[in-house]
Amino acid sequence: MESLKIAATERSPEVDFDFKHGVLSLRGESYPEDASAVFGPIFEALERFLPTVGNREIRVDFDLTYFNSSSAKALMNMFQMLDNSAAGGARIVVSWFFAPDDDTMKEFGEDFSEDLEHVVFNLVAVESAA
Amino acid sequence: MASFNLFDAEEKLLEQAEALRGSLDGTSAVVRGGFDTLLDGYSRSVREQRRLVKVSDRLQAQLATVNQELGRRKAEAEEALASLKAAQESLVQSEKLASLGALVAGVAHEINTPIGIALSCASHLADATAGMRKMFEADDIGVEDFERFMATVTDTTRLILGNCDRAADLIRSFKQVAVDRTTSDRRHFDLGSYIRETLASLGPHLRQAGHAVSIDCPGGIVMNSFPGALSQVLGNFVMNSLVHGFGPGEIGHIVISVDQPDPTSVRIAYSDNGHGIPEENRGRIFDPFFTTKRGAGGSGLGLHIVYNLVVGQLGGTVAVEPRDGGGTCFIVTIPKAID
Repeated sequence: MESLKIAATERSPEVDFDFKHGVLSLRGESYPEDASAVFGPIFEALERFLPTVGNREIRVDFDLTYFNSSSAKALMNMFQMLDNSAAGGARIVVSWFFAPDDDTMKEFGEDFSEDLEHVVFNLVAVESAA
Repeated sequence: MASFNLFDAEEKLLEQAEALRGSLDGTSAVVRGGFDTLLDGYSRSVREQRRLVKVSDRLQAQLATVNQELGRRKAEAEEALASLKAAQESLVQSEKLASLGALVAGVAHEINTPIGIALSCASHLADATAGMRKMFEADDIGVEDFERFMATVTDTTRLILGNCDRAADLIRSFKQVAVDRTTSDRRHFDLGSYIRETLASLGPHLRQAGHAVSIDCPGGIVMNSFPGALSQVLGNFVMNSLVHGFGPGEIGHIVISVDQPDPTSVRIAYSDNGHGIPEENRGRIFDPFFTTKRGAGGSGLGLHIVYNLVVGQLGGTVAVEPRDGGGTCFIVTIPKAID
């Protein structure tokens, strides 16, 4: 399956889904005016990809510094999809990156992972590259 | 109050649904499975709602913090701007005083010559009179002595009177300019005479370097305006020509011509045949602190003061116009009478 690569904009994150190697990442800020324009293609790709994974190992990285409420809902939907796939046998490891001084992002990661039963969820504090 | 729960209604519904689930034990597996799915979905939805409320609250709080910071910075910036404006105003005042100082120095220099001549004549007369008294007391005055003394008395008194008259004339013309500079009273004055008086008070600066001044103003234009401001404007133009227009050793020509574009206003064109103002600077010369001679004592306020006085007190406009064959030309257009 073709990779999905979308460059970051001022209000939307960089999308880098390398389906061939099973490494998916979302990086940057997300507060788009039209959430469906940003998350539509992402969900469409996941809906085609996840049923094909079987028991493969998949890594999903979330490295977000800021997002709005619509993006938060989209992230929770995405987590749910990943958890369902993990329940079906895929070995999915989700990493939630946050800056060491960003308690808000850390707590959001903790909250969003509450419902996850089948994926492996890591909270990872990283110094920002900048 | 203590037990307020934002999601009280949702939790009660969940409890009711759990209780209802218990009473479904006897029904078909399809009904129970469907009910479980609905219950799971609702329960998840409530959890998501809680998280979203939290996300939203956090975002609003961040926004409020940023807004507060913004307000604080805005207040700081406004305060800094106000203090800069005050500093600028005080610099403008001291520049005005400095130009008044230059005026006073010019006056002193100009009056010094006739007073000096009168003084040495008086001293010569005193010497001659003392000599005469000695001869008188010795009863030894010859006709020739007396004739010589009379000639000395005639010459010296003529010179003393003439030079004292000249000094008195000078003081009269300076006095009005100086009074006008230090007060901001509006009064009636004849434009042509006033321009000539102002230029006379600046005379020493001009004559020392050998510059020529021509004034071409129709007679009988009576202004009801602020002569001090006008004098300051002309003075600053002259200083501008002396500092920027003419290089050392160059002999320049300044022309002030007045006409009336309409019956209620006058147009004063001040021009020199000096180095002129480069086109790239023309848009900035009236800005405060713009100077090409920062290192050489320029304050960058002279023409800014001109602009403020013309546009503010005199209620007119000032522009700098390109001039064929070099030099600088300022056009000041002001109403003859200010309401």
